[in-house]
Amino acid sequence: MIALIRTEFIKAARRTRTAIIALLLIGLPTLIVVAINARGDRPDRGDRGDGLFRLASQSGLLVPAAVLSATSGFLLIVIAGTFAGDAVASDSSWGNLRYLLMRPVPRGRLLVAKAFVSGVLIWAATILVTLAALVAGVILFGVHSATVPGIGGVAGGFELSTGALLLRVVVATAYVAFGFSALLAIGTLFSTLTDTAASAIGATVGVYIVSEILDSISQLGVARYAFPTHYLGAWETMFTQNTYSADMVAGIVVQFAYFVVFGTAAVLWFQRKDIRS
Amino acid sequence: MVVEVEGLWKTFGDVSAVEDLSFSIERGQVYGLLGPNGAGKTTTLRVLMGLERPSRGSTRLFGSTVTPSCSELLHVGAMVEQAAFVPHLSGMRNLRLWWEAGGAHMRDADLDGALAIAGLGDAVHRTVKTYSQGMKQRLGFARLLLGRPELLVLDEPTNGLDPGEIREIRELIGRLTSHGATVLLSSHHLSEVEQTCSHVLVMNHGRLITSGTVSELIGATKSIYVEVDANERQRALQLLSTLPQVTAVQTQGDGLVMEMCDGRRSDVSAALIAAGVHLQTIMPTQGLEDAFLDLLAAGDADDAQRQHQGSAVSS
Repeated sequence: MIALIRTEFIKAARRTRTAIIALLLIGLPTLIVVAINARGDRPDRGDRGDGLFRLASQSGLLVPAAVLSATSGFLLIVIAGTFAGDAVASDSSWGNLRYLLMRPVPRGRLLVAKAFVSGVLIWAATILVTLAALVAGVILFGVHSATVPGIGGVAGGFELSTGALLLRVVVATAYVAFGFSALLAIGTLFSTLTDTAASAIGATVGVYIVSEILDSISQLGVARYAFPTHYLGAWETMFTQNTYSADMVAGIVVQFAYFVVFGTAAVLWFQRKDIRS
Repeated sequence: MVVEVEGLWKTFGDVSAVEDLSFSIERGQVYGLLGPNGAGKTTTLRVLMGLERPSRGSTRLFGSTVTPSCSELLHVGAMVEQAAFVPHLSGMRNLRLWWEAGGAHMRDADLDGALAIAGLGDAVHRTVKTYSQGMKQRLGFARLLLGRPELLVLDEPTNGLDPGEIREIRELIGRLTSHGATVLLSSHHLSEVEQTCSHVLVMNHGRLITSGTVSELIGATKSIYVEVDANERQRALQLLSTLPQVTAVQTQGDGLVMEMCDGRRSDVSAALIAAGVHLQTIMPTQGLEDAFLDLLAAGDADDAQRQHQGSAVSS
C-alpha cells in the first residue's frame, strides 16, 4: 500500500499544475498582506472576513486567519476539488487506469491510495497557504499579541497572546483542511463516475458552489445545517469572539458523515464499474 | 488451459457486444482473434482481463475464474487498445511506477530485457507526451514484458501506426512468439494474423463464427490449386476428375484448379503420388483474407435467414 501511495504521490506531485497551485498558494498571501498593509486601519465594516482583515495588521500571527478566511470560501475549494476530482479521472482520461488494474492493483486499494494522496495534497495546500501567510505577515507586521474589539456589533474587547494566536492558527488550519473531507469524498466519487477529469472537478466544485448558494437562503432553516459548506467558517469565532464554537464540532461531524457516505459510495461504485476508458 | 472462455455474454442495455462466446487456448498456442470493427473482440479481451464483468458465462485464466484485479493477471502481459501512460512522466518512470504500483521491487522486473525488446534507446528517459504512437506502443511492449508473462494479450497492437512502425511491431511480436509465449492477438489486419498466429478465432456481431488453425481456415475453402510436371498435367486432370471428393477440375495457367466437396488435400496428394504423378504444388487458391471475407459473408447470410425465419414465424 505504501508503494502504491508513493507512486500515486509522484504522479500528482510531478504535474505542472501542482507546481502552479503551489506558486499560487505562496504568492497570494503575499499579495493579501500587501493589500492589508495598504488598506491601513480603516473602521470595521461589520462582516467577519473584513474584521479579520482589519485585525490582521495588528500582528503577523493574525494574517493566516485573514488569508484562510479569504481563500477557504472559493480558492481552496477549487484547489481541493481539483485534487479530489482528478484522482481517478485523470488516469482514465490518459488510458492508464486499465493498465494499473491489469497490473493488477486491487480496485479498492487503488481508490484508497488515490483518495489518500488527494487528501494529503489538500492538507498540504491548506498548510502551505497558512505558512506563506504567516511568513509574509510576520515579515510585514511582526509578532505581537492582538487586541480584538467588538466586531459587527458582537461584544468583544479581549486580548490574544502570541501563544494563543499561534495555537488558534494551527487549529484553524487543521479545521479548514478537515473541512474539505466531504469535498474529498464527493470529488473521489465523481472521479469514478466519469473518464474526464475536467467534468469530475467541475461537478465537485459545482456541488460546493450550489451548497454555498443554498446555505445563504435562510428560509431553508435547519436543512442548511446539513450542507457541507455550512460550518466551513465556524473557526473564525476563535479570533473574533474568543470562543471555540460548538459549530466547529458540528462541522467536524457533518464532514465525517459526508466522508463516510460518499467515500463508501465511491469504493462500492468503483469496485463494480466496467472500465471502458 | 491458459485461457478458457465459456458461454460468455456481455450486454450493454439492449445491445449484445458478445454472445455466447466459448473458446480455449492451450499453453504455447498463438491465437489470432479476428473480426471486423465492432465484432466484440475488445470487449472479450476486457472481460478476460477483469476490466469488465461478464453479463453471463465465465472466463478463466490458468484455471482460475477471472475477477477484477485477480492474482492470475500477474502472469499476463496485456495491451488492451492502445498503449497509454502518464504523459508528463518519462517512459522509464512510467515503467517503474507501474511496476512498483503492484507492490513489487524493481529488481524483480526484467527491465533490461524489456527495454532491449522495445528498442527505445535514450528516448525512454523523455516524457511520454513527446512520443509518437509507435514509440508508445513499443514502450507498451516493454511494460507488458517486465513481469516475464506467460500469456500475452494484445489488442490491435498495430492500430494507428505507420507502415514502418507496423513492421517493427510485427517483428517484435514475432520475436516474442518464437520464444514460446502463449499469445492472444486481436486484430482486423488479416496479414498480421496470418503471419503471426497458428490458430484463429473469427468473430462477427459478437459471435464466434469459426475457429481452428490458420491452415484449416484457409483449407476449409474448397478451391485448390495443383501443379504437376507439364507432361503429366493431362494425366493428372483425368485422375482428379475421377476422385469422388473432386467436383470439378480444369487447367489454369501452368497448373490445375479443382473444387473439392469433401475430404482433405492430403488424400488428393496421396492419390496423385500413388499414380506416379510428380506433384509440385498443392495449396488453397485463396489466403486468409479471402477465407475471412467468405466466412463473414456466410455468417451475414445466416443472420439474414434467421431473421427472415423469425419474422415469418411471428407473422
